[in-house]
Amino acid sequence: MSTPSGTQAAAVRASATSLVAGLRAARLPIAILCTLVLFGLIEPRVLSLGNFRNIAIQASYLAIFAMAQTMVILTRGFDLSLGYTVSLVSVAASMAMVAMGGGDAAILWGLGAGILVAALIGLANGLLIAGIGINPLVTTLGMANVVMAFASTVSDGFPVTGLPPGFTAMFAQASVLSIPVPILVAALVFALLFLTLKATRFGRSLYIIGANPRAAVAAGIRTMPVLVVAYMLCSVLIGLGALLLTARTGSGEPNLGGNLTLEAIAAAVVGGVRLSGGEGGVGAAVLGALFITVLSNGMNLVQIDGYLQQICLGVIIIVSLIVSRDVRR
Amino acid sequence: MNSTAASTAGTERTPHRVGLLDRFLMQGGIVITFLVIAVVATALIEPRFLNRLNLINMMRNFSFLLIPSLAQMLVMTAGGFDLSVGAVVAIASVVTATVMLVGSGYFPDAGVLLILLSLAAVVGVGVLVGSVNAWLVASFSLSPFMVTLAMMSVLVGIALYFTQGIPIYGVTDTFVSGVGRGQLLGLPVVLWVALAVLAGCIVLQRFTALGRHIYAVGSDERSARLSGVRTGRTLMAAYVLAGVLAALTGFLMTSRLGAGHATIGTTLALETIAAAVIGGVSLRGGVGRAEHVALAALFLAVVANAMNLVQVDSKYQTLVLGAVLIVALAIERLLLRRRQA
Amino acid sequence: MLEVTGFTKAFQGVVALDNVDFSLERGEVHALLGENGAGKSTLINLIAGTFPWTEGSCRIGGRPVASLTPQAARENGIAAVFQEFSLVPDLTVLDNLFLGREQSGGFFLKRRQMRQAAVDLLDDLGFHVPLDEKVAFLSRAQKQMVEIAKALRTRPEVLILDEPTASLTDGEAEKLFSAMAVLKGRGVGIIYVSHRMAEIRKLSDRVTVLRGGKKIGTVATAEISDDDLIEMMVGRPVEQLFPKIEQKPGEVRLEVRNLTTADGSVIDASFVARAGEVVGLAGLVGCGRSELCRAVFGLEAVESGTIRLGDKVVERPSPPAMLAANLCYFPADRGSEGLAVMRPARENATMSALRLPSLAAGPVLKFWRENEVIRAPLTELALRPMAPERRVSAFSGGNQQKVMLARGLMKPFDVYLFDEPTVGIDVGAKADVYNLIKRLVEGGACVVVSTSELPELVNLASRIYVMHEGRVVAELGENERSEQQILSHYFGGKA
Repeated sequence: MSTPSGTQAAAVRASATSLVAGLRAARLPIAILCTLVLFGLIEPRVLSLGNFRNIAIQASYLAIFAMAQTMVILTRGFDLSLGYTVSLVSVAASMAMVAMGGGDAAILWGLGAGILVAALIGLANGLLIAGIGINPLVTTLGMANVVMAFASTVSDGFPVTGLPPGFTAMFAQASVLSIPVPILVAALVFALLFLTLKATRFGRSLYIIGANPRAAVAAGIRTMPVLVVAYMLCSVLIGLGALLLTARTGSGEPNLGGNLTLEAIAAAVVGGVRLSGGEGGVGAAVLGALFITVLSNGMNLVQIDGYLQQICLGVIIIVSLIVSRDVRR
Repeated sequence: MNSTAASTAGTERTPHRVGLLDRFLMQGGIVITFLVIAVVATALIEPRFLNRLNLINMMRNFSFLLIPSLAQMLVMTAGGFDLSVGAVVAIASVVTATVMLVGSGYFPDAGVLLILLSLAAVVGVGVLVGSVNAWLVASFSLSPFMVTLAMMSVLVGIALYFTQGIPIYGVTDTFVSGVGRGQLLGLPVVLWVALAVLAGCIVLQRFTALGRHIYAVGSDERSARLSGVRTGRTLMAAYVLAGVLAALTGFLMTSRLGAGHATIGTTLALETIAAAVIGGVSLRGGVGRAEHVALAALFLAVVANAMNLVQVDSKYQTLVLGAVLIVALAIERLLLRRRQA
Repeated sequence: MLEVTGFTKAFQGVVALDNVDFSLERGEVHALLGENGAGKSTLINLIAGTFPWTEGSCRIGGRPVASLTPQAARENGIAAVFQEFSLVPDLTVLDNLFLGREQSGGFFLKRRQMRQAAVDLLDDLGFHVPLDEKVAFLSRAQKQMVEIAKALRTRPEVLILDEPTASLTDGEAEKLFSAMAVLKGRGVGIIYVSHRMAEIRKLSDRVTVLRGGKKIGTVATAEISDDDLIEMMVGRPVEQLFPKIEQKPGEVRLEVRNLTTADGSVIDASFVARAGEVVGLAGLVGCGRSELCRAVFGLEAVESGTIRLGDKVVERPSPPAMLAANLCYFPADRGSEGLAVMRPARENATMSALRLPSLAAGPVLKFWRENEVIRAPLTELALRPMAPERRVSAFSGGNQQKVMLARGLMKPFDVYLFDEPTVGIDVGAKADVYNLIKRLVEGGACVVVSTSELPELVNLASRIYVMHEGRVVAELGENERSEQQILSHYFGGKA
């Protein structure tokens, strides 16, 4: 059977497969570069240093949300309440800061209130999903509406102004070692989550539960507390991102969340986090966030209509789902 | 005969006792309880509820919820999800108004013709969206949730891009007076349409092979395929029907509003899922009946109406909707768990 | 009537069926014999059109057929009853019987006509199943009957039966056999898969034996002895497959008293297992032995009864508690409950050991030591290929099983519960599993094996408990464990 030409053909085929596999693995960096070059040809400002800095800052917000979402997607879960959690945290933290006098001393209160609200939402999601066993999609969809109602009523739907000036200075404008704070926070979150997933029992449990929940139970993993913590961790990270965004806008915004739910899921999925759980990591989420940011930054600079951008986002999600679907089966 | 222990080595769990509780759950026990409580409580608290005008108004809103909820039910019983219902409603509304506006330039006095033209266009939109959804879900085995979520983004984007968020006026008067505000035998025309759709769904589910196949594909796709059910076609039928029903909703809402809005239907994805789930449609597919979904939609319409009557901020209405959805699911889960434990 | 030549099937490069010829005459019962993993199910799936063959050709009724889909197979008069049912749980029995081939006039179903046809069909077979019950609520035996009735409804010329009696009682099996006789008289050819010698002898005209994906031979049933058939199937004399285990029963390690599960799958079951012995749990599929193991490990809700491990009564069994108390359980169904197949072998091997000091310091996982920790167990089990970073789904069935068994070697356990330890694995891997059991028992551990393979019970266990309809109906000691004696208790112990 194995004639020389046969083995040669096999070798060619093998190297072709490994090339394809390599391209698949590097598809996101390639896509990011292509997108940059493409928009750069139309609008040279895309390739300026200042714009790179902009992209990095914008991407770090989205990356935090995408990483948060990844923590629950890994377990076959979802958090559709992400966007409205951002809104509610923004409003709640701002109101706390205003109530505590609006001075720089109130910043801590704002941070505390924001994180607390986020943690409570996460706890509720986690208990409903892992404790009672309701489908995560519907739970967080329902939760999204509950949270939205709070976000739009606690401040009567108006932005909360009068935040401490130090808040924006510290969390949006400051740099440490000339690295802007949002990028620094995103990097820190990335490092912590990367270690958590690789080097803790909790992280390993997330993967096993996502890959096969019944096998996880049979292997003695206590899935309930792991899931509750995962949802809380997800929410707290969302809260952190919301605080950074609030610092950037300088006021508590009931509509801050907007399209973020979709964008965060898109970033994670485009990056290659498996929607049915058990595969992927925070690295993928960050790359996905970077890609989506580069894309929307480019579209903004070449002045593509915002509604068209929304269409593009949907198309890109579908295309990346098709590209990254499990072809091994 | 052989009534005891019988499940394979852990792969399938067979409930052994089919008790009253199962019958209660299967016959829509939860939704009927909810509905009765809601109606009685509302009537007691707010007598204006029983006012004829109010009831007619409520029935109209009920119709606008019922049709897309049945669409959601069709897709969910087939094992899917359709988050794009609301977006289809929006785009259908824009298409309806646009066709009438453009068409009235050519046929200025042919109201009925314009209505039929725009209806045809809208059905086309529904078929198109439904088949794209089904194609993506079936051919690439993608998650229906993600596909329709992305589709929602695309459709809303298209609707907003073409209108730039501005309502399209110029809808034929015949359309508004005859359909939107029209009554037949003392009941709103849209209610008749909704009831006809409901009857159609009941017939489909009970008396046709397609109905069986939709249940079969949703319940166990592999078994259905092995039994000779053309699963791809069945999914296609379910999504296309859902698309058409959602589009019909947009068409009817336009007749009520008198203009094409790209922003209507934003909360419909949640509301229809809530109606379906409260009506006992399983999130895993294969289970769910049109008549129960209708009761659930009626329940949600009564609650919304009651909150309007006692002048609750509409923001809190979404809160109640979200909470009711979670509570209904939690009750069902807890009841089921008690049975198993 | 049906003739296949050179059938070969490879799954992702792994050859499951290798150049097999097979033929079936009109009115013939042709038995397929082979161990799990021998290629029987691949062959019948190819004939039923479940998946396409890689190489080979097929003729039906003399006409060559280029390829088969489930629909095409059915149109060619082939119907199959697999062990894994093709019933839709949320539809009623009636709906399932006609699924995919509904009778309708125009748009509407002819419901009355279908009901009558269903009643006639079931009466014809002598099966009693409620037509309007959802299939999800049926017992496994009832589902089996519906599945058989469904296959016969299309009046097939070739009927494939895949271990149809695995969950039927004697009486139900007799009904099936008489139905088969009627079909045979009508000229229907039947492919019958089973590893019960008695059935094969009673029913079949010819036997084809498969082993390791290859055809060993086709013989007329009347002309071959049981022993020769078994040797064809196993490839070596039975004694060579099973190691000699020195059993030295010591103190009681596991004692279960009057255990009843919440779902009623186990009723009032009691057994004891000692250090240094292998205890067998026997019975039909669905008799409750799997559930008994699961209940002991804490995977099944217990309604009443006590479980004693060593000298401690376990109040609330749960997997983490049982693992901590040195009881290890290996699930029957690797795919659905044993392994996270998309994760690497390494993670699967350490899945239940994430709290051991060798792997964890508090919540921190010593991932840098993981490879070192799993090397010895995986080497002992002879994992092939020795690639711990490969995802489990890329291994063969036998090696997947080894990955799961490696968990039991992460620390010395006192009690091991094996549920169907050799399902779907080849003979070589089986021998490895038996040797592992030997080593564990001779090292002083207590091993409980729940299995549907009679030779395993006879050759491994020192004592055997037979279960029937959730109850333990017999305990068989050293001198009463022949296959015949075990079988005689399978149907409620009327022997």
